[in-house]
Amino acid sequence: MSRPKVVFEGVSKDFEKDGAPLAVLQDVDLSVGEGEFVCLLGPSGCGKSTLLNIAGGFEAPTRGTVRIDGEPVQGPDARRVFVFQEYGIFPWASVWDNVALGLRHLSSSEQHRIVGETIEMVGLSGFERTYPMELSGGMKQRVEVARALAVSPDVLYMDEPFGALDSLTRLSMRSELIRIWKSRKVTILFVTHDVDESIQLAERVVVFSERPGKIADIVPVDLEHPRDLGSPEYGQIKNRLYGLLGVSHSV
Amino acid sequence: MKVLSPVAFGLLLTALWWLACGVKGDEIMPTPLDTLYGFVELVESQRLWGDIVASLFRVTWGFLLAAGVGIPLGLVVGWSNRVSVAVNPTIQGLRPISPIAWIPLAIYWFGIGDGAGIFLIFVASFFPITVGTMAAVRGISLVHQRSARNFGVRGLDLFRRVLLPAAMPQIITSLRIALGVAWLVVVAAEMVGMDSGLGYLIMDARNAGARYDLIVATMFVIGAIGIVLDVLIRKLERFDEVRWGYENR
Ligand SMILES: Nc1ncnc2c1ncn2[C@@H]1O[C@H](COP(=O)(O)OP(=O)(O)OP(=O)(O)O)[C@@H](O)[C@H]1O
Ligand SMILES: [Mg+2]
Repeated sequence: MSRPKVVFEGVSKDFEKDGAPLAVLQDVDLSVGEGEFVCLLGPSGCGKSTLLNIAGGFEAPTRGTVRIDGEPVQGPDARRVFVFQEYGIFPWASVWDNVALGLRHLSSSEQHRIVGETIEMVGLSGFERTYPMELSGGMKQRVEVARALAVSPDVLYMDEPFGALDSLTRLSMRSELIRIWKSRKVTILFVTHDVDESIQLAERVVVFSERPGKIADIVPVDLEHPRDLGSPEYGQIKNRLYGLLGVSHSV
Repeated sequence: MKVLSPVAFGLLLTALWWLACGVKGDEIMPTPLDTLYGFVELVESQRLWGDIVASLFRVTWGFLLAAGVGIPLGLVVGWSNRVSVAVNPTIQGLRPISPIAWIPLAIYWFGIGDGAGIFLIFVASFFPITVGTMAAVRGISLVHQRSARNFGVRGLDLFRRVLLPAAMPQIITSLRIALGVAWLVVVAAEMVGMDSGLGYLIMDARNAGARYDLIVATMFVIGAIGIVLDVLIRKLERFDEVRWGYENR
């Protein structure tokens, strides 16, 4: 495996609920390699978003630490960008200005070059002056991905980024994400509760138990991209994941 | 039918008004026709324009000053808990005091004239604007705050790129409320403590021979200008930067 990039060491998180502590995460140990694509899969409410928020520096763990490149996470950092479950782009700014958000310190010619390239990469050329309100859900999510990629982050945290999209758009966004991941070699932690999504994207799927979230198992997906969704290997992994989640696959 | 009904309703009310004048049969209450003649008289006397300008002048400057102070203050108080703890109790304590109650002090400080009028309009618009801006900043969604932190947006940049634009739709709503209040207050202030303006025109018409036709005509003028002001300020809601804030509401 490649050099460890994001390392969770005994991470636990308790929230307060009606005066009593509510254990949301318990002793999460996980090492994500540099350039690796990892999916965090688990039932709703098991603490996936919480874990990602801790890694992103938006929340502090109750116990344990998260290290990136060996340094403990102290707070948010523009080198590690979050793509939110609900749209995090600014509705008051045009597509162009949204994508340029993280480039404020660069010269305007540099900004121009990078924003133009990134917008083209996510297929939004021609929409530079458009406001998010006038975009479809998929396009908004592309803007958010572009805003993140524009700063050339070394880690992307994605919290069910495609959850609000229709299934066709979701499929195409996934293959675009794989394309981008391959060309950028960025480390991706991708939260989902969709078994198929995790098998289509991840090199390793980290399966969480019900709350309090613990790692139930880590399932490698050794399939080449583009992945054949009808292959027997795919089916086996799927069965295994459903088994770990405690639901039977057949309905 | 849809276009006609507001007109029909207005005509119905006018007819009732006329009928009521006939039934009561006194000399004081003007009929719609008396009012129309009163309006013509006001227009011909040239006096109306001067009073309209005087009222609008006070409202414009008082309102702009209030926006100039209230929006930045509201942004800071809304964003910073430390500032809020110090400043908010004073704001909340002064807010329930009717702007009308300030009239004696205003005249004492500024004398009869525009200064006192502008001050009163400032007081009347300042609180809705400041409190509205504060609430807007406090309501900024967590994902937007986190986006800003993730990309290291802070200091003045934070105000310019995130807090102000995020709060803008609600700020515009509070400006609209404030302008409405300002227009109510200017008339009251002019009735009590000024010697020009539409409010003064009303008092003057009453004192100089109980000219209720002129009074009611002036009331219509006040209403019409109020509508125009509201229409004008609502134009702010159309800008691309704020339209998102009025969707699905
Ligand atoms: N700020 C908070 N204060 C109190 N409780 C919280 C807070 N944030 C999350 N929780 C609780 O922690 C638990 C885990 O929440 P989290 O959002 O991490 O779940 P999730 O796995 O992302 O779920 P989903 O798949 O539905 O998004 C939930 O029970 C939630 O109610
Ligand atoms: Mg979640």
